[in-house]
Amino acid sequence: MAEKKVDQERIVYIQWLQSCNDLSTKSRKQVLKVFPDPGELFRSSSNVRAQFLTPGQANILDKHIQASKGVEAMRDLYSRMENEGIRFAVLGQREYPEKLAEIPDAPLGIYYKGNLPDNHVMTVAVIGSRDCSEYGAYVAAKLGRFLGEHGVPVISGMARGIDGIAQKAALEAGGESFGVLGCGVDVCYPKSNREIYDALITCGGILSEYPPGASPIGRNFPARNRIVSGLSLAVIVVEAAYRSGTGITVSMALEQGRDVYAVPGRVTDRLSDGCNRLIRQGAAVFTDPESFLEELQETHLLQCVHPVNQKKSNELNQKKEMEANLPESLQDIWKLLDYTPIRVEELADKLGNTKEGMLQTVEMQTAIQTCATGLMELVICGYAKQVSPGYFCRV
Amino acid sequence: MPCLYRAKGGIFLFSSILSGALLGVNACIVHVEADASSGLPAITMVGSLGGEVRESRERVQAALKNAGVDIPPRHITINLSPADLRKEGTAYDLPIAVAMLEALGMIPRGCADGILFLGELGLDGEIREVRGVLPIVREAQKQGIRECIIPMANASEGAVIPGIQVRGTEGLEQVICFLLAGKAEREKMMPVKQVDLAALMKGSDDYRGMDFAEVRGQEGAKRAAKIAAAGFHNLMMFGPPGAGKSMIAKRIPAIMPPLTIEESLEVTSIYSVAGMLGERALISRRPFQSPHHTISAPALTGGGIPPRPGIVSLAHRSTLFLDELPEFQRNTLDSLRQPMEDKKVQIARVGTNLTFPSDFMLVCAMNPCPCGYFPDRNKCRCTEPQIKHYAGKVSGPILDRIDLCVELHPVDISSLQERREGENSAQMRKQVEQARAVQEERYKGTKYRFNGDVDVADIDRFCELGSWEKEYMEKIYKEMKLSARSYHRIRKVARTIADLAGEERISKEHLLEAVMYRPVQEIWKI
Repeated sequence: MAEKKVDQERIVYIQWLQSCNDLSTKSRKQVLKVFPDPGELFRSSSNVRAQFLTPGQANILDKHIQASKGVEAMRDLYSRMENEGIRFAVLGQREYPEKLAEIPDAPLGIYYKGNLPDNHVMTVAVIGSRDCSEYGAYVAAKLGRFLGEHGVPVISGMARGIDGIAQKAALEAGGESFGVLGCGVDVCYPKSNREIYDALITCGGILSEYPPGASPIGRNFPARNRIVSGLSLAVIVVEAAYRSGTGITVSMALEQGRDVYAVPGRVTDRLSDGCNRLIRQGAAVFTDPESFLEELQETHLLQCVHPVNQKKSNELNQKKEMEANLPESLQDIWKLLDYTPIRVEELADKLGNTKEGMLQTVEMQTAIQTCATGLMELVICGYAKQVSPGYFCRV
Repeated sequence: MPCLYRAKGGIFLFSSILSGALLGVNACIVHVEADASSGLPAITMVGSLGGEVRESRERVQAALKNAGVDIPPRHITINLSPADLRKEGTAYDLPIAVAMLEALGMIPRGCADGILFLGELGLDGEIREVRGVLPIVREAQKQGIRECIIPMANASEGAVIPGIQVRGTEGLEQVICFLLAGKAEREKMMPVKQVDLAALMKGSDDYRGMDFAEVRGQEGAKRAAKIAAAGFHNLMMFGPPGAGKSMIAKRIPAIMPPLTIEESLEVTSIYSVAGMLGERALISRRPFQSPHHTISAPALTGGGIPPRPGIVSLAHRSTLFLDELPEFQRNTLDSLRQPMEDKKVQIARVGTNLTFPSDFMLVCAMNPCPCGYFPDRNKCRCTEPQIKHYAGKVSGPILDRIDLCVELHPVDISSLQERREGENSAQMRKQVEQARAVQEERYKGTKYRFNGDVDVADIDRFCELGSWEKEYMEKIYKEMKLSARSYHRIRKVARTIADLAGEERISKEHLLEAVMYRPVQEIWKI
């Protein structure tokens, strides 16, 4: 009983130490080596600290101690957290995720709501740019859905764009997902992903290195990214521009010894520059979820919860079935549609060109009418999407 | 120096001269009365007068002196009747001068009877142009007045009205000579102005330099412009800078049918009242108004002292083009709500309400995002929240009234070098005219003129759907989660598309195409 109480006290002080944002994880661990009991550190005098720590560390701690509230307040905070369902796993304890403990600068402690990833299950991180294309969104959703169906938890940052799309798809497919935030676990950022945030608490978890209430400041995010890759076996970059934040995550992933996959894109598309560059630099090429998962299972000699089966051919059949259900006039248009949005006029031109010669522009008017009606019919039947007034793409 | 008539025995006289005042784009007859009596020499002016009317006194005195007239010292009272109607403008200078001359007995009594006078006087006696001549001459003719004397610069404008003799004059001396002369010599001194109305109206479909054939590519936008012109629907163009939005907007008046004479007179009146007629006698082509987005609400809708038509009235029967729609101030756009709803602008003034007509077709243009290049992700680095926020700036009353929204594509070298022949304006206009003929027949006897005007309550009546089509429309409504407003918009636009195709029944294809033209704010669920 007393041991448990001591443990709890220690945790409170470790939380306190962790909340000192100016200290790096490395420094915090060094400090703990010198002061194994963080409570003692809290009560120490500034002279003692100056004697045993580096001047920088001592300085920072001086300020942090001054700014801190008393022990009672910290204990209060801890019990309040417990009441709200926020728990804290400390490095060295049983519940701390194994994979995360292995990385060079594993966080001292991890706040979480919901659950932590199971140590014996394959996990995959799916990341990408916040302003993605229709193509990127499609791939992220498809991947997320597949991983969800096969019991592979998806780890990501719950950000706008690729992150959110992949995680949402995984959750909708009945799978688990974990979101690592650059703010406190009780802060939903971005607000637009509120639904995903709520779903993650029940079907996975929300994790963070930062204390509850911490706001999402810019410099938290690179640090957050190391946890995303730290919790996973492999990292898939779905879409990234040349200068993208995902670059940082990839470097950390490599440092941690994780596999990095990148989804190739068109060379004419600036949004795929980052991914294509990664491939040139040696990242593995991701083409479809099935072969990816097979490769992963082989490399790591692990099995996912629901082994890959003949779903691939099912999807192809499904597509053929969809096409067959369309009347012939619409089939012509459907075949010309891709995941990259296309203009109505371009489609009309292509449609006309399959017959004799190029359309005269006077005939273009009629061609546009036919295309417009065909496309809208496809939209209503759920085969296509009107991305903007003049652009359509396949769904 | 004309020999002025001198009344015998110094009988002091009263004079009443005809003139006119503007009420919005209409007019009413004003009687300029002068009375000369004994007393301290002075000129008193009454009759609810604006600042510049009061200044007439100075102008008239100097002009008369320079025309060689020696005003005897009398107390002269000038009254502009009806006395409770606010008088503005400088057109009363001439009638006041004539009234004074008659009251003082310096021209024969009755020599100016039955003649309406308008004109601003320069200090040297020169008679200068005024605004609003057309409505006043029109009203005069209606009231039975058969002759008028107006500034030479306005003579062609006034001569357009049949049934009244319009004479243009250059100077006060000429007017005095005319009034002193007998009936026989008058025609030679100041001939009646004649205009050939048919010749003036002839250029009404000549929009040289504004042909749709000059627009390369953008076939989708051209079709949307055609539909908009045919049914008088409000159009929004969406696309990157340089795509051709302004170019297309400018060419829309050219594909509308020519103005009828009645419409032409209406539009000319508005421009005349605004003082923007210039040298023209008649506006026979549909005007094009494109205010900058920094315009204020009153400049847009009208007002001021004296009340002048705003840009929306100058676009009456034609196109009002708002470029860079999100850059307009919200209250400026809000001020468009009433004019678009009522098709007129009501301005309240002391003692009276004025109306300026404003039946225009709204065409607006906007970039897809702050940088302008979305969805070209190679150029556009705007984030999704930025893009949605930008599009969201267009909301409320304006968005509710946009019936068609079409996207223009960025212009690339291949489309500029396009050698294929596009439809030219004449071809497009022919189709629009055919569609309009159908509408004229349909709305005969009702308050509507075009499909775009139809109120929600009458949509079932005029945009009827067959039972299969009705069911299909319901399916569309459910699948696309449309709003009620969208539903009505689609039916009206589908009706116009069917009219253009020469079909009486609205088919599924017409409905589907109409759905495609929904505003981008609806597609993006902003």
